[in-house]
Amino acid sequence: MTGPDAPAALRATGLGFRYRARGGWALRDCGFTVPSGRITALVGRNGAGKSTLLHLAGGLLRAGTGELRVLDAVPGTPEARARVALLTQDKPLYPRFTVADTLRMGEKLNSVWDRAAAERTVREGGIPLTARVGELSPGQRTRVALALALGKRPELLLLDEPMADLDPVARGEIMATLMTEAAERGTSIVLSSHVLPELEQTCDWVLVLRDGRVELSEDADTVRESHTLVTGHADQADALAGPHTVVQRRASGRQVTALVRQRGPLRGDWHVLRPRLEDVLIGYLQAGDTVRPADAERTEAAA
Amino acid sequence: MKGSLWLAWRQQRVLVCVGAAVLALAAAIAAYSRSGMLDALRSGLFDHCDTGPLYCTQSDTGLPLLLDVEPLKYLGALNIALPVIIGVFWGAPLLGRDRELGTHRMVLAQGVSRGQWFASRTALAAVTTVAVSGALAGVFAWWWRPAADRSYGLFWYENTALSGSGPRVVAAALFGLAAGTLLGLLARRVLAAMGLTLLVTGATTLLLEWTHRTRLLVPPHLYTSAGSTPKPPMGEKWSASHYGLITASGRRDDVMNCPFPSGAELRECMDRHGYVARFYEANPAGDYWTFQWTDTAVLGGLALLLTAATLLLLRRRV
Repeated sequence: MTGPDAPAALRATGLGFRYRARGGWALRDCGFTVPSGRITALVGRNGAGKSTLLHLAGGLLRAGTGELRVLDAVPGTPEARARVALLTQDKPLYPRFTVADTLRMGEKLNSVWDRAAAERTVREGGIPLTARVGELSPGQRTRVALALALGKRPELLLLDEPMADLDPVARGEIMATLMTEAAERGTSIVLSSHVLPELEQTCDWVLVLRDGRVELSEDADTVRESHTLVTGHADQADALAGPHTVVQRRASGRQVTALVRQRGPLRGDWHVLRPRLEDVLIGYLQAGDTVRPADAERTEAAA
Repeated sequence: MKGSLWLAWRQQRVLVCVGAAVLALAAAIAAYSRSGMLDALRSGLFDHCDTGPLYCTQSDTGLPLLLDVEPLKYLGALNIALPVIIGVFWGAPLLGRDRELGTHRMVLAQGVSRGQWFASRTALAAVTTVAVSGALAGVFAWWWRPAADRSYGLFWYENTALSGSGPRVVAAALFGLAAGTLLGLLARRVLAAMGLTLLVTGATTLLLEWTHRTRLLVPPHLYTSAGSTPKPPMGEKWSASHYGLITASGRRDDVMNCPFPSGAELRECMDRHGYVARFYEANPAGDYWTFQWTDTAVLGGLALLLTAATLLLLRRRV
């Protein structure tokens, strides 16, 4: 499913959503395409619309305006439900069910079910099948919820902050499980996270949301290569904005540090640093807060 | 559908078993108590008793002769409370538990649709409710029959019989379930939903009892007797406690204008005021079914309405 003709894992055109008819927009005018076979980092600050986007893709919510397609299917249809798995942020499970019951439920509720994969995921966490879900630690519960998602052998796996409750060791293990899944079966994964360093090594596509709009949807390597972190005298800062796009800049005294999307060679006396993916993402997340009004428009345009 | 039914059964099996146990217990008590009742009737002690609301007395001691219908009345009370019990303990958590825990999101992220998920859990709850409430109403009818409308038994209009038997018990139980389900969907918290359900189903039950008492939905018949001739006997009719006198022009006056049961005083008083007849209002025994079907229509209609509202809200709220 990773060839050039493979359907996009996620495709949005003019996507908008609000929770109340007269409320603010949780997502607005979102247009992006995430190719299949990618591990996508969905990044944004609290309230940026990450969970809303994942709930829309998982079929739990219905798009208000525009459209969203998962693997070319309409979210929430039987076809989409069979191919897409969603792990929501709160990882809800029935507390009185045993782990075995929970996996049995997955088997009963899905047309395709890989019991071995689900049980392996649980067993790797050292969780006994006879334990009641309510008595597990949050991290163990996450693992059971993930087993439920992996057991249905999805082509697209949507994970809303899956690592939030996990200790560092478990994080590594779960990430390894996900990597294996992606490598062996070509599963597309979209995962939202606030732990940026983790995404650096695992994700090959980034999708940045800010205030309900898409700031960036691009290959991770392209993002890394096209951005530069420059430091220099504040006087020449304005010259940057011409050919390049200043994502974010921070002044300290007479010196200014800026994250720049470079287009063509850099003019002037700048100390240039190649940023890590994390730096770029943080730059985009902070952008809204620190740019001066004059620059705000340009940053918007860059998105 | 099979999968979501499995989940519905896995989550509701305790409730189904409790329902079955209550039913079995009620049936056992009914069988035991009814056979005792039949023995008492067969002893011939009650043979001289007439129907009608007046007590039948023991020939030697003069004490009233009564069958032991207390347990039967308890079953009637249980049947009256059924919509409250089912609404609070079955309806409110039906969607409310998932709303509170957020587990509907996990279930709906699996291979079942919202419609299947709702349909299978509601169907299981509704089928069990109909079965249990129908059987309890049936047990009541079977137990009640030998003592029905007897001075030593239970009259059709006593509220444990009128509201605790027949098809209205099933409709009321379904209403309780539907009300609890909708409130569970709206309240987001099981405990709050239970409280609201208690309030709503309790108020509806009491309101219907009030409509019985006031004959709001089933108006009483008018029974008249010309002049001072004896009134037609009340028998097994349900008196509306409304007696009076009628003038030649047809005006009805309160009985207190001539508060005499019979005889010369009554005749004289009626002549003085120009009354030509006496009347009272009551519902005949046949109105039992009118009351039953009116209640069934009201409660069943409410249940359908609430279920439709739940279905509409389900798209937006879950």
